[in-house]
Amino acid sequence: MSSAENHVRKSWVLLHVGNRRFALPAESVMELAPPVRLHNFPHTSKLIAGVIVRRGRIVPVYDVAPVLCGRESSVHRFYLIAERAFGSASEASAIPVNGECELATGEMQPPQEDAPAYFAGTLAIENENIDVLDLQELVSAGSKNPSPAIQAEARP
Amino acid sequence: MKIATQDAAKSRRSRSTEAVILFCIGAQTFAIAADAVQEIRSTDSLATAAIEMELAEVPKVRHLVERSHRTYFVVSGCAHFGLRVTRPTLVLILRQIRTAVLVDSIERMADVPKVYALPQAFQGEEREWYRGLIYLEDRVIPVIKPDGFLTPQEFARLDHASRAIAARQEMEGAVPA
Repeated sequence: MSSAENHVRKSWVLLHVGNRRFALPAESVMELAPPVRLHNFPHTSKLIAGVIVRRGRIVPVYDVAPVLCGRESSVHRFYLIAERAFGSASEASAIPVNGECELATGEMQPPQEDAPAYFAGTLAIENENIDVLDLQELVSAGSKNPSPAIQAEARP
Repeated sequence: MKIATQDAAKSRRSRSTEAVILFCIGAQTFAIAADAVQEIRSTDSLATAAIEMELAEVPKVRHLVERSHRTYFVVSGCAHFGLRVTRPTLVLILRQIRTAVLVDSIERMADVPKVYALPQAFQGEEREWYRGLIYLEDRVIPVIKPDGFLTPQEFARLDHASRAIAARQEMEGAVPA
């Protein structure tokens, strides 16, 4: 396999948000965390649902369902923890998922022309086109276009 | 020798923890470094000393109090953090900063071993509000930044307004009855 092929054909973690499947690059995923307590405190950052404590670290939780599915989902009980880049540093970040995650290998195709910027491309797996998420763009999009449901009013 | 060893161990322990006061505003618990608080008073005990002030630019401050020849601006904790309005019963008078904060109750004091940095995901006003987070008995509690209640610009506006109040009171006092 050439280096170019190696670059595009790689491992992905498939996750469920709402009733849709999405993919994240496997190398960015740290773990699938079990249902743990979501802690809230007042803040004004859009899209952040709270924080969880995992392996001695405080991990922010991004509620991406309103951005990806247009509504909040109540079935998300697990947290997929992935790295989000902040300049040269990175930070563990959690996305609520329903727990059904799987590993897949495939070649990422370019995103559809009208796809939002937070879709880095698509994967054709099991006769399904799965959008690959760009976590950085996704949380940025959520911050710019918050839905009323994710306004980070102080949530006790 | 044995005593010195015990003292050293005790000293190490005390250096590695920080005393905080846990207080509540509504259902939310916050922490503040104990050494950042000068005194805690009931709102009733300060009621007679409080002077009303209203400044549209700083709506979270409705009163000022004079303590030890210093003017303290009383910040509503609810308004500052965007919480539902409650009926505060206590005032935290801060040390070194001319701010007093209305809170609902004091939960207790605690020694915390570590203050975690606020995750970078938080990019809003909370970066000015909090020094960090503590994890205490299965709760994540934000640790208040004492100088985050009022900005220098807000202090300048409030100082200007308080001088106007003082001048008006002086004028009223000078007018013969």
